Amino acid sequence: MNFSFSDDQVLLKNSVRAALEEHCKSSHVRAMAEDGKGYSDELWGEMGKLGWLGLPFPEEHGGAGLGLVELAIVLEEMGRAAYPGPFFSTVVLGGLGLMLGSSAEQKDKWLPAIASGRARMTAALLEEHLDWDPASTTASATKSGSGWILSGVKRFVPWAHVADVILVPARSAEGLSLFLLDPKSVGVTLSPMKGIDLTNRWSELRLDKVAVGAEAIMGQPGGAASLLESLLRRAAVCASAEMLGAARRCLDMSVEYVKVREQFGQPIGSFQAIRHRCAEMLLEAENAHAAVYYAAWALTAGAEDAAVASSICKSYVNEAARRVCGDAIQVHGGIGFTWEYDLHLYMKRAKALEPLYGDTEYHRELITRHAISTR
Amino acid sequence: MDLNYTPEDIAFRKQVRTWLEGNLPRKEIRTLDDRLGWHRKLYEAGYLGMGWPKEYGGGGARPMEQAIVADELARSKAPAPANSLGIGIVGPTIIVHGIDAQKKRYLKKILTAEELWCQLYSEPNAGSDLAALKTSAVDQGDHFIVNGQKIWTSGGKVAHWGLLLARTDTKVPKHKGISCFLMNMRQPGVDVRPLKQITGSSEFCEVFMTNARVEKSDQMGKLGEGWAIAQTTLGYERGGRALARVTNYASMHSRLVEAAKKMRRHGKPLIEDPLVRQKIGRIWAEIEVERYQALRTLTQLERGEHPGAGGSLTKLSYSELEKRYMELALEILGPYGQLTEGAPKEFQLEIDTAVGEQGSWAYAYLWSRAGTIYAGSSEIQKNVIGERILGLPKETRADRVGGKA
Repeated sequence: MNFSFSDDQVLLKNSVRAALEEHCKSSHVRAMAEDGKGYSDELWGEMGKLGWLGLPFPEEHGGAGLGLVELAIVLEEMGRAAYPGPFFSTVVLGGLGLMLGSSAEQKDKWLPAIASGRARMTAALLEEHLDWDPASTTASATKSGSGWILSGVKRFVPWAHVADVILVPARSAEGLSLFLLDPKSVGVTLSPMKGIDLTNRWSELRLDKVAVGAEAIMGQPGGAASLLESLLRRAAVCASAEMLGAARRCLDMSVEYVKVREQFGQPIGSFQAIRHRCAEMLLEAENAHAAVYYAAWALTAGAEDAAVASSICKSYVNEAARRVCGDAIQVHGGIGFTWEYDLHLYMKRAKALEPLYGDTEYHRELITRHAISTR
Repeated sequence: MDLNYTPEDIAFRKQVRTWLEGNLPRKEIRTLDDRLGWHRKLYEAGYLGMGWPKEYGGGGARPMEQAIVADELARSKAPAPANSLGIGIVGPTIIVHGIDAQKKRYLKKILTAEELWCQLYSEPNAGSDLAALKTSAVDQGDHFIVNGQKIWTSGGKVAHWGLLLARTDTKVPKHKGISCFLMNMRQPGVDVRPLKQITGSSEFCEVFMTNARVEKSDQMGKLGEGWAIAQTTLGYERGGRALARVTNYASMHSRLVEAAKKMRRHGKPLIEDPLVRQKIGRIWAEIEVERYQALRTLTQLERGEHPGAGGSLTKLSYSELEKRYMELALEILGPYGQLTEGAPKEFQLEIDTAVGEQGSWAYAYLWSRAGTIYAGSSEIQKNVIGERILGLPKETRADRVGGKA
């Protein structure tokens, strides 16, 4: 029993923090918000060199062979820095998706390309009704010769505009299936969906009778449901790690600010109304830390409670991040409501992830199903 | 990071579980004698004072082994031992701050429950501001004479001895004039009156001291060190039993789910109501997060690190959770949750109240109000977290500016 980071994990955390403090200052985040593409190729290349892009992939595919705890460490730092770019969509949604269910050829083709920084990916997990249950998928896949014809509409697809390949769930005669789609295929239309989080880019993905080859299917036709559930759990925990990082940043900024901001002739941090709020924020951040890293460990170790732990993680961190980031604005007062001050960058990063990969109510229902079935 | 239990820990847990299966009291514990009997059985099995030094009757066990025993006791719904304050607080304080003669005189008898202990800290006008306490101890040459009143003394009625904080110097700032003593409760100058709480029961007492006597040999630490000693004592209160607490919460959660299957709303089982399902899912997440945090604390303890001010986060977290939890339980249970008598079996809650009264959801609900007040209220914990962990500036306080104790 050891619920603390190993020396290597601490080293990883420190090196990611240092690299992002150098390359991803808030000025960079703001510059990318104005950028058409939304992220820097230079920083992407650097991340490839540092080994982040292949972190969870097996070594034979150019990866570092690390687990979800290490991935969560990197993602927490990215949340903390509000890193703008397709890391999450590529490594978590794409990479972990490929690891869970792709063929040897598909892995050979894509994992080394991702790890080296040559390819970017994403997954189109949401449709218009916003139901996270993979069983709700309505996009269709019709057999045509040796290949398939895909039709349907996907929404809130992160970083689709820069992706080389997109994981697309669609319903075929056999049941729920998963396809690797080249977004440059004929019949694919991407239109931007701009949200409040400027470090993230969403698109609507429209599939109008898009023809894909036999090699595009991932796993067996009709066999995608459990893969998608596994991917969703990992995405929920990874998103929670980013939210934790964003919340920590908001907390740290608040603590620094209330030590120096004076009103009524003294630092506002000396007032119990402020101090108690900061103490509650710390408690939420610490509990969120426990929820994230427990779930990351459980998924990596294949623990019995891994599935429910990921739902506990997302539902808990959703509320904790909402509270910490919101309270950060409150203790800052007026300055926290200005565009120039950086606080909103982190608050919006957390907010954007809150409804994704299962919102609070979605996960609480899963927790209750678990609680009822195991007793 | 590895959250699996080691094979040794798993084997130890199995051994404890087997022992409990063979030794749990078959009859409900009703009297103090029943409880003392159970206490001695636990001690003889090596399950009390496990972390204390062997030379004073302890077991020299690892924090994980202690946590496993506490957890298994909770899992089997075992009754509490008799001398919980003696074992949880007084003993550890004597181990850290007492001289050898005091350790030899008191520790073993705490473990065997031959001598029961209470804690004499709070006063009517010294609650959160404990350092404002007024009970005096005056040096009479070979002994001290104690006068004053204490309140919220749990187990005061049955205690043989009390761990006392009293003022020995009124001329220095208030935190510096307090000393710590071990006081015999069975003497004419000590009058103990039970205090009836909102639960209807009397776990706590008021203690009146009129020219009570404390021997010189029962002074602990130097004169004026009482406040520092009390800080470590409160530290013991804010750490330890986290895993066992979560196990208790979990078994209550199962009872709640079972109850929700029995009740109906709009003609359907309550457990099918989406709002109820949300509440049940939410509280289970909060309970599990407490468990994860307990594992973090245990990791620290296993490495020999003291959680320090981090204990304030633990205490704030569980005590506030317990209030939310019990409010939610009573929402789901409706008026069944308020029954102190006449509850059908499926709406009862079998918990041991440590005073031998029958447990109920109503009792657990009312008792949940105590946790955010005793051993440093939530407000005090937040001050500690703010000042000692976050490094926020101290507030301007009249007693710091004026310097008057």
